[in-house]
Amino acid sequence: MAPTRICLVRTGGQSVAEATQSAAAGIGIPRLANALFVLPYMLILLVMLIIPLGLGIWLAFQDYDMLGGWNGSVGLENFQNLLDDRIFRGTVRNTMLFVLMTTPAFVILGLALALALNDRLRRSAMLRAIFFGSSVLSVTIVTLVWRLVYLPDRGMLANILGTVGLHSIDPVTSETWALPAIAVVTVWWIIGLPMTLFLAALQQIPADLYEAAALDHASRWRTLMSITLPSIRRTIVVVAVVEVILQFQLFGQALLITGGGPNNTSRPMVQFIYEAGFRDLQLGFAAAASQVLFALMLIAALAQAWVGRKREG
Amino acid sequence: MMLRRALLPLAVTALATLWTTPAAAQPKTEITFARFFGACESDYGSSQDLAHARGECGVMTTLVNLFNATNTDNIVVKPQIIEWGPYYQQLNARIAAHDIPTIAVMHTAQLGDYTRYVEELEPVFKEAGIDPADFTPNARAGVTVGGKIYAMPWDTHSWLWHFNVGLFKKAGLLDATGQPLVPKTVDEMLAQAKQMKEKTGKPYIIIATSGPGDFANSARGYYSWLYDQGGSIFPNGFEKADFKTPESLNSFRVFEALAKNDYITKGLDGSGGLGGFLNGVGAIYMTGTWRIDDFLAASAKPDSPLAEGYTTRVFPNLFKSQAVWTDNHSWVLPKGGTTPANRKAALIFLKFMWDHNFDWARGGGHLPARQSLMTEYAKLPLRQYVVDIPTFGRALPHDVRRQFGFQNMIGEEIANIINSGKTADQAADAAQERSVALLRGR
Repeated sequence: MAPTRICLVRTGGQSVAEATQSAAAGIGIPRLANALFVLPYMLILLVMLIIPLGLGIWLAFQDYDMLGGWNGSVGLENFQNLLDDRIFRGTVRNTMLFVLMTTPAFVILGLALALALNDRLRRSAMLRAIFFGSSVLSVTIVTLVWRLVYLPDRGMLANILGTVGLHSIDPVTSETWALPAIAVVTVWWIIGLPMTLFLAALQQIPADLYEAAALDHASRWRTLMSITLPSIRRTIVVVAVVEVILQFQLFGQALLITGGGPNNTSRPMVQFIYEAGFRDLQLGFAAAASQVLFALMLIAALAQAWVGRKREG
Repeated sequence: MMLRRALLPLAVTALATLWTTPAAAQPKTEITFARFFGACESDYGSSQDLAHARGECGVMTTLVNLFNATNTDNIVVKPQIIEWGPYYQQLNARIAAHDIPTIAVMHTAQLGDYTRYVEELEPVFKEAGIDPADFTPNARAGVTVGGKIYAMPWDTHSWLWHFNVGLFKKAGLLDATGQPLVPKTVDEMLAQAKQMKEKTGKPYIIIATSGPGDFANSARGYYSWLYDQGGSIFPNGFEKADFKTPESLNSFRVFEALAKNDYITKGLDGSGGLGGFLNGVGAIYMTGTWRIDDFLAASAKPDSPLAEGYTTRVFPNLFKSQAVWTDNHSWVLPKGGTTPANRKAALIFLKFMWDHNFDWARGGGHLPARQSLMTEYAKLPLRQYVVDIPTFGRALPHDVRRQFGFQNMIGEEIANIINSGKTADQAADAAQERSVALLRGR
């Protein structure tokens, strides 16, 4: 019967004896069979991501009607048509504005909530659960609730404004307020995730740093600026990058609350892609718009990560 | 020998069991049935009582329940219910993914886009026992593309004005017989709207313009007024749309005049519009034939704001000659959705539906697709006002592809007029520009 080999791994390096034992056990020696461990993941990555991405890029250069079929390659024509399309240009503007509205809100509000609720009180635990609670709701439920809030004349917002003698702003019909109204819904809906990420980060800060600051009579503001924020800088970058990527993909809230209106002022890029591809059947054109969205997301996320790293450096 | 003796009774019993197994216990033939019309299992979960089924959803659910319970061919119909707004988007995705339903509902306005993907049905109607000679001319035109029939028509549906008679009475807009005065010109309509606002403080027209699927509402009104003038959005062939013809501009301008004077509701979605009419928020609800029965039921309740009276009329002609937007629901057999085993079952179910076409017209409000049912249909409450629609109803020709794209785009531009103050000319310009993108690669 072959002896059972037990390998103890210790962080911070190996002793000579352990290294010898590892070598004897074949650990660290490249073997083709080891690839089997990553093969399932690689296969899923290939089938679910790499191949569709490649197909999407190919499709962006084709005239492909979902029901009419493939009508040949059109080179850059789909991209040229996008540039000429006033509706598409509007969706790019709307999407960028939406990201600019929501990402800082997620970082600032998420951090503020995490700071306020970062203690062991039962009340805070309850509030953490409440703030996270809305994140588990589906977009349909969230938009149903908020449509009732935004309903012209008879909605909750109209009633509240009416009670204090103000004229209702009717966000659903206002070109100025439609997109901010969707931003409010989105922040309300998923503020729980950034809050939780910040809470996890805050709880990693060693307590002795705060004790030292207290001994030095540091103010709360100074403590925040000199201890808390530098300690969670990486989390701030992570939250910002994650939110940029998520908010570029705005779709359900806009479709269900405003339908992209009024006058195209709240139609996001994903809605444009959905309508071009699945309603108007222009798959090649929709794929080209998807590549533009992909490029914008990539640039924004990389820029943010780069800025974060530079500051850290 | 002992073993054989022991097994013999068991084998005999098994054979006898198989021989006597009732049909219900034998494997069933399943057909999938993709549709919209809503889900209402809480009200009609197991109901087979067609006489008490109301509304599109109630009748459709009851029909399927009845078929599943009574057919003697061991067929089970499995409904796949999808919200109507994204129905075609999902159907397209399903076709692309080869997840194809056996039978699917389809607006005939969409049929031109799908002829490659649905079976030609005329050859199978005889086998199914369905007589195409009984199709109404409107229904026949709807399901026929390039001279071939691709669907079994199920109804003709159209665009109506639904009246809150109580509010019309309060505004002094009833005739001597107690019926609402229906305007005959744009000026007459605006004068009525002004009177309604002054006497009741309520908007003349309720319309839903902001939720998913709501853009169709204003587009159907636009088409109806366009057709009243003998206009078309394709006056010079199907390669190029023209939204700046005098007829098209007139149609946009009616909405502009209504919106400018706050005679029409702003920013409501479908449920807000429906709830608004049921709660007496406005005098006229601009929606389709499918609501007749729902509103009749609501008006029968003594505490309803419609209790003083509800009636309906064809979308009024404000220009030259009466015409109105129409469409048809129909049933198609998508290619690849049937197998030799379930194909016969699908035809049996289609025949069942054909035989119950009147129940659909009675419960939902749509006009039947069968000419032989028209006389009986006209005897139903309020149907005398809509029964002639198939004779003057109009639809875009099947040569126009992406018709729902056009419907959404036109509706969105009119919603912009209503909700955010865009002018009729700006809306026409925008529609013109957007139509180029829609027709690209057609």
